Amino acid sequence: MNEAWRYFLLFFGAAFVYNFLLIRFIGLCPFFGISNRLETSLGMSISVIFVMVMASSVCWVLRSYVLSPLGVEEFLYIPAYILVIASLVQFVEMVIKKTSPPLYKAMGIYLPLITTNCAVLAAVIESTRPGFMKLNIEYGYTFLEALIFTIGVSVGFAIVLVLFAAMRERLDMAPIPKFFRGAPIAFIAAALYSLAFMGFQGMFGL
Amino acid sequence: MDWSLVWKAAVALAGAAIVLGIVLAVASRRFRVEIDPRVEEILKVLPGSNCGACGLPGCEAAAEAVAAGEAPPTICKAGGPDVAAELGKVMGIEVESTTPMVAHIHCRGGKSLSPLKAIYQGVNSCRASEVAMGGGKACPYGCIGLMDCANICPVSAIEYDEEGIRRVNVRKCTGCGLCADVCPRGLIEIVPAHAHVFVRCKCQYTGKKALSVCKVACIGCKKCEKVCPSDAIHVENGFATIDYDKCTDCGECAMACPTGSIQIWTEGEGHPEGGEFALPEGKKKREPEAAVEAS
Repeated sequence: MNEAWRYFLLFFGAAFVYNFLLIRFIGLCPFFGISNRLETSLGMSISVIFVMVMASSVCWVLRSYVLSPLGVEEFLYIPAYILVIASLVQFVEMVIKKTSPPLYKAMGIYLPLITTNCAVLAAVIESTRPGFMKLNIEYGYTFLEALIFTIGVSVGFAIVLVLFAAMRERLDMAPIPKFFRGAPIAFIAAALYSLAFMGFQGMFGL
Repeated sequence: MDWSLVWKAAVALAGAAIVLGIVLAVASRRFRVEIDPRVEEILKVLPGSNCGACGLPGCEAAAEAVAAGEAPPTICKAGGPDVAAELGKVMGIEVESTTPMVAHIHCRGGKSLSPLKAIYQGVNSCRASEVAMGGGKACPYGCIGLMDCANICPVSAIEYDEEGIRRVNVRKCTGCGLCADVCPRGLIEIVPAHAHVFVRCKCQYTGKKALSVCKVACIGCKKCEKVCPSDAIHVENGFATIDYDKCTDCGECAMACPTGSIQIWTEGEGHPEGGEFALPEGKKKREPEAAVEAS
């Protein structure tokens, strides 16, 4: 297995085959909460990509150079990562507010929400402690692999969120029975989406 | 138990926390954005319902505009004079008092008074039914009653009455004017809250034709014009309109109106809407048809 192909598999597996939202059911609150309108879901997607990639890079460094050498990774990784994610989000919010007010207006409201988003924590944990994908990686990811994995996860998250929001906008116009309107039809549609994404299962032997 | 692990864990977490804390502290200094402190004060005063009647997207935008001096303290229509005075205090400007306004729907022709000419089964919206040949109501100028004004109202002040006509709860209404913009028939007028006499019709038909579509229509007979002592009511385009700058609430026009389309609003503690419409006391009920013959 050559390097480039392996990186592609890592990305593809994280984005589609093991999609966080539809296959592994992580981060469902923004999936249903923010997907009412296309515009807001785009803002949320960009924020999630940004924060996930930043958080996993910082956490990878923290794990490799602080937690592992001290031998405390096994029981300390969750509080340490939460600490990093929370302060990182704060930091990013401040920087964006100062440097780019339009970007802050676009994703400012969603940034604080991401602080406690389980998808971010899950992505960070898995980028530092791999184990679910059949890639025969028994050692920890290298920095590059962790980065590609997180980009895959966040891009998969963004694609599904935006697709789903676009579809929900059309659902509003569709002649749906009154008692299915709103959340119920969204749940049904999400289930069908999830079934469709199961089609990626086993692709490239993942 | 290996106590060194505890120490290591404490050191690792505390170290990470201290480093991150310092980074955040430095960042908050370096990336501080100057915000006018008055914006927050103004935001506290504003009603916060984000109705958009001021023309800006939400109360926050309005607060920024007021703080920057781009908007007058009277910008908030929903808040009325109280909020304007408070804003003036925050900004240090004297504010002239504004008259509180309420919305009023100029139609009383409900189900039993104005017959249906067709059954409308389309989209549940006044504007949609207006496009579809004016909906089912016989009167082409009357209230359709499909909730467009009630749906847009930010304070839920517009309610049903038993006749299927909308009416405004003056206790809740803030006079923001959103409903007046949305009504496809232009029936809603923003009037001073002290007004009591209303022409409850905007039917442009006159005489018998007006009565054929609604039993309480304004037939354009101009009797009200003749009895008005202050020249405040005039018939134009087939219906009477009251000029509330001149109106003294004497009620002479309501007494004179042959069809009862002019009514008097009586405030009352017992009414959930703040009062009710009625014909003036002592007014003799006349057959509408007879009135047409006489005029």
